[in-house]
Amino acid sequence: MSDYIVLVKQVPDVTQITDNAFDPETGTLVRTRLASVINELDSQALAFANQMKGADRGRDGKIIALTMGPPMAEEILRYSLSRCADMVVLLTDRALGGADTVATANPLAFAIRKIVKEILKGSDDYYVVSGMQSVDGDTAQVPPQIAEELGLPCIAYVTKSEFKGRHFEFTRIISGGSQVVAARKKPVVITVAKYEYPLFATFSASREANKTEVIRWSGDDIKASLIGVAGSKTSVIRVFPPGKSTRKCEQVGDAKTLARLIVEGFTSGNGEAGQNGQGQTSSYILPGKRTDRFDRGFEGTKKENENYKILAEKLGELGITEVGRIDDACREKILAASGKHFRKKALEDMINGLETTEPSYTGEVWVVAEHSEGVVHPATFELIGKARELADSLESKVGVAVAGHEIEPMAEELIAAGADNIYIIEDKLLSVFDPTAYRKVISDAVSSYWPQIVLYAATPQGRMLAPMISYRVGCGLTADCTGLDIRDSSRKSQIGILLQTRPALGGNVMATICTKNSKSQMATARPGVMKRLPVDESRKGKVIKHKVELSKDDISLEILKTELGTGEVNFEADVIVSGGKGMQSRDSYERLVSQLCQGLSKRLDTQVERGASRAAVEQGFVERVHQVGQTGTAVGPKLYFALGISGAIQHMIGVANTETIVAINSDPNAPIFKQCDYYIVGTIEDTLPQLLQALEEE
Amino acid sequence: MAKNSQYNKVSVLIVGAGPAGLACAIQLKCEKPEIDVCVIEKGPDPGNHSLSGAVLEAEPLHTLLDLAVPDWRDSDAAKDVLANVIDKDDIMFLLGKKLAFNIFFAIELGKAFGLGFGQMIHKGDYSVSISKLTKWMGQIAKDLGAEVMTGFAAKDIIIDESGEAAGVKLVDQGLDKEGREQTNYVEGEIVNSDFVLLAEGCDGLVTESFVEKAGLQRKAHSLFSVAAKELIKVSPEQYQKFGTDRVVHAMGYPIWTPVIGPGMFGGSIIYPGLQDHLSVGMIVGADWKYCDFNVQDALTNFKNHSFVRQFIEGGEVVEAGAKMIPEGGCYAIPRDPATGSIGKGNVMILGDSAGFVNMLKIKGLHNAINSGMQAAKAVAESLDAPEKAAVKYTELIEQSAAGEEMESAKNFRQTVAKFGPLQGMPLSVLGGLLPEFNVEKDYEATTIARYRLKPNQDFDKDTFTAMAATEHREEQPSHLRILDSEVCRTRCTPKFDSPCITFCPAGVYETIHDEVEPANPSNCLHCKTCQRKCPFDNIRWTVPEGGGGPRYKRM
Repeated sequence: MSDYIVLVKQVPDVTQITDNAFDPETGTLVRTRLASVINELDSQALAFANQMKGADRGRDGKIIALTMGPPMAEEILRYSLSRCADMVVLLTDRALGGADTVATANPLAFAIRKIVKEILKGSDDYYVVSGMQSVDGDTAQVPPQIAEELGLPCIAYVTKSEFKGRHFEFTRIISGGSQVVAARKKPVVITVAKYEYPLFATFSASREANKTEVIRWSGDDIKASLIGVAGSKTSVIRVFPPGKSTRKCEQVGDAKTLARLIVEGFTSGNGEAGQNGQGQTSSYILPGKRTDRFDRGFEGTKKENENYKILAEKLGELGITEVGRIDDACREKILAASGKHFRKKALEDMINGLETTEPSYTGEVWVVAEHSEGVVHPATFELIGKARELADSLESKVGVAVAGHEIEPMAEELIAAGADNIYIIEDKLLSVFDPTAYRKVISDAVSSYWPQIVLYAATPQGRMLAPMISYRVGCGLTADCTGLDIRDSSRKSQIGILLQTRPALGGNVMATICTKNSKSQMATARPGVMKRLPVDESRKGKVIKHKVELSKDDISLEILKTELGTGEVNFEADVIVSGGKGMQSRDSYERLVSQLCQGLSKRLDTQVERGASRAAVEQGFVERVHQVGQTGTAVGPKLYFALGISGAIQHMIGVANTETIVAINSDPNAPIFKQCDYYIVGTIEDTLPQLLQALEEE
Repeated sequence: MAKNSQYNKVSVLIVGAGPAGLACAIQLKCEKPEIDVCVIEKGPDPGNHSLSGAVLEAEPLHTLLDLAVPDWRDSDAAKDVLANVIDKDDIMFLLGKKLAFNIFFAIELGKAFGLGFGQMIHKGDYSVSISKLTKWMGQIAKDLGAEVMTGFAAKDIIIDESGEAAGVKLVDQGLDKEGREQTNYVEGEIVNSDFVLLAEGCDGLVTESFVEKAGLQRKAHSLFSVAAKELIKVSPEQYQKFGTDRVVHAMGYPIWTPVIGPGMFGGSIIYPGLQDHLSVGMIVGADWKYCDFNVQDALTNFKNHSFVRQFIEGGEVVEAGAKMIPEGGCYAIPRDPATGSIGKGNVMILGDSAGFVNMLKIKGLHNAINSGMQAAKAVAESLDAPEKAAVKYTELIEQSAAGEEMESAKNFRQTVAKFGPLQGMPLSVLGGLLPEFNVEKDYEATTIARYRLKPNQDFDKDTFTAMAATEHREEQPSHLRILDSEVCRTRCTPKFDSPCITFCPAGVYETIHDEVEPANPSNCLHCKTCQRKCPFDNIRWTVPEGGGGPRYKRM
């Protein structure tokens, strides 16, 4: 009889965004103007825990829902009670507010300790279950960080559990496939990626829920070590609306016109990539190397930049060349001439800032490599490209940390992709990915060399490993970045820091984040967004062997079965035709996607591959290896066809580098229509035959 | 999950958190704070399934609010919901696509001579969003301690051996499309209650089941109208030009043109909302004869009339919805043949479920609220003898203003139905003097005639349903049932070309492989037109899982 502690979170309902939710001045989505609901994956986690409890022998285990949030978060605890929870705990305290993932995971872990001690009477027969990520933060960091704080194994991206007499076997998503694993010991932290059957409220349980006492704990009750703003290791410096898509978003009335646009577009092909592609060269120059020592043109925000520009101009006019010579009279003159752009306090801060020219962080720029079966994940090469750019402007080196077994041969390829130093952590026990073992060895390497930046790919593996490592070494981490830039924040005496930009609230806002209270700046970056460098065989680099003691006890999971997608998939093809949930069935996916593939291949005389959204894969329309998107593969063909795909952000970021996106969907409000180039509103069954005919005639 | 069955028992169960049900809960909590009052509602939130014009005669609401929230006039909610007071009342007669005549003087004349239609004056009333009003009433009810349980749909009423109602059965949850139990299946619970108040709105499912089980009778068939409404964001200039204190009712084009046709009963509306929003709606008697008619087509024509276009051209539809209105009036109220009670024993029928719409005023909201208040009083007086509640309720309502006005409006709608708008409307002036008579059911009126003013382009139902924000869990059995598909194939499609495909405002029905099917049940707006207008009475609307349906916010 196991007990279940389910982590739930109250989030803004991003599925019901109304006009008045946006700030009229800045155009930014204001989170508090949205209705609050339980995070959908957490409601699935509740159902998942309930189903585990039902499968377990005793069936009389308890389900305890835990949340941290403002007093109104009580609503989702009542939601949990009306479904299956036996007890609920609300962790609420003003002092806990403003927390990043570290300062969220830490108090939650301490609350779990208190639950275990006081409610479960010290039992270690329990599972911590939560949704894989929340829809507002989208980071997937909190559960692995809780596991790290509690010293528990973590099984992430779980879709299924099966009770095997004494223990559970879990099916989880991995890059390009799925895997069945079992934990070597309890307790375990489980994060649920998808569970189809969320529970319904019952009338009696709902009434009872409204009359049940919620256990409330404050910060003092749990004695957490990292809380609130002070305990956080990242801070948001700017929130802004996502840039207008450069996609054309053109509705096409008939198949004939679409066929013409496709053929013309494909044959003329200007080679320009899509919306999010980052430039390869950084313009950042360290302050010491700038021609003018008052040049502070690399500030974090636009406003700061402007202020420093004005200051530099005035100093030039006054003929001042050294910071020490800015006297009181001079300050008065500058203030008078500043045109109210800044006041006295700000000027003092700026002048102080001018004195700092040394970078705030030192060390290399690292990439943690991901690989399986001897093959390096493409995202690793993309990150090396980005790391190269960052390291060059910081006048530093690119290091790549690789953990595994028989991995030395990879070094050559990594150097050719732009790396300088390859840190090899070789051990037979690392022959397959185990989060607990991998996080141990890589943390050890990080804290031996202290790189200034560590980048991970935001793949299922990276999104689980990075939070554990960052928590273990006490550094901040930003998830799923789409932009990484070096900038200064001179007024805070921060020089050469990493600005990490990422979408939040389901892609409805963008946030720029920087690291604080950390020795290293860490980020995961979305695959397919950064660009790899051309292979340069002539590059030279060093291989450094880093030795870490490992024993069998460091392995937390038993891997029972790995199923990588069968069949070869060529996502390098020029054209990819993807089907989503709107394809209705495996048969119609098979029939319609194949027809269009053949039609396009014949007409355009090129290679065409089949893709799918996660929903389509979950429905069993096609094997997982065809999945495009955040948990699948990021692609960048010349032409991407989305059939019956709604356009969830997780899917769209996987096709960001596509040249032309064409969508067909029967739902006139499908979000994909705002993120594609051409679209037709209509059913696939009706539209495709017309399109195929038009393609033949075109 | 029923850990504790004591939670399945309540003293008073109100089915439906609309204006009638919530007025009842509020009044009852004021009169008897100690008893537990529970309101169940199939929508996700109070107000989400409420749609109306809506002109609200203030009296009953004021009385209720004065009792429940003495300082309500100062509340933010009151300022928001009751912001628009009507001062200017226009009745337009539209002739063709361009001409419009204001015939308000005729209504005033009617009033002066004490004729029935003189009641159709709205000065001093509120122009409200009923979704917002209902949401507000839901909050008041909760604040007073009533349990408002949303997302729970009632499937049927349970009658015990003694003939009294024991409670209601809720809808099963977690069945898949084929009706198999999924792993999260929960059988619909039985909620036991001393009193059951049916306030489901128009054509209530449980109400109709109760009418049959308890042997209630109507002197005349229920008659309905179908209404479609859009909330349009217009320019500040257009909004100002229309005015915030004005309502427009229109008749004539595009549903009725004397002598040369078309000949349908109904009318259209333009009401002001808040901040540059106008509501535009079309209401058509469901006894239309054209097999290819759809209320939304008439709405399109109305919006294109030059009188209307000036106010909305270039505007953006921000919300939309459709519903039916019970128009049978006095003779169509279901009563117990023995006692004449509206309901029976411990079961009372409220608001639109009973049919308290006054067709002379073309308003029912005030009567719905009033009926809820009277029902609450009846319950409060019958706590020791629940079986006498329905009789008490009927007495109270007949003594109230609602009773009198329903009596004065009797026969109006039947007269129009029988003689057609041209002769029927003047005849209806005689109102209650005409003998009581019955007319055919709405669906029997369908003929092979076609609507001549059909717009060239099909109405965009997909956008319409998207604006209603309707959704249902996809993987559940269709809640719409065609009883005999043979009838569709051999009789309806050849003769009438499957009117359901056209008249359903949500585009639920489609022909798939030569069979008419409720192909998109998840688009359903819960208007129930299909079960009242299928020419062969071959469609049944059942209740989907709770929490589904439209999500009206400002309708």
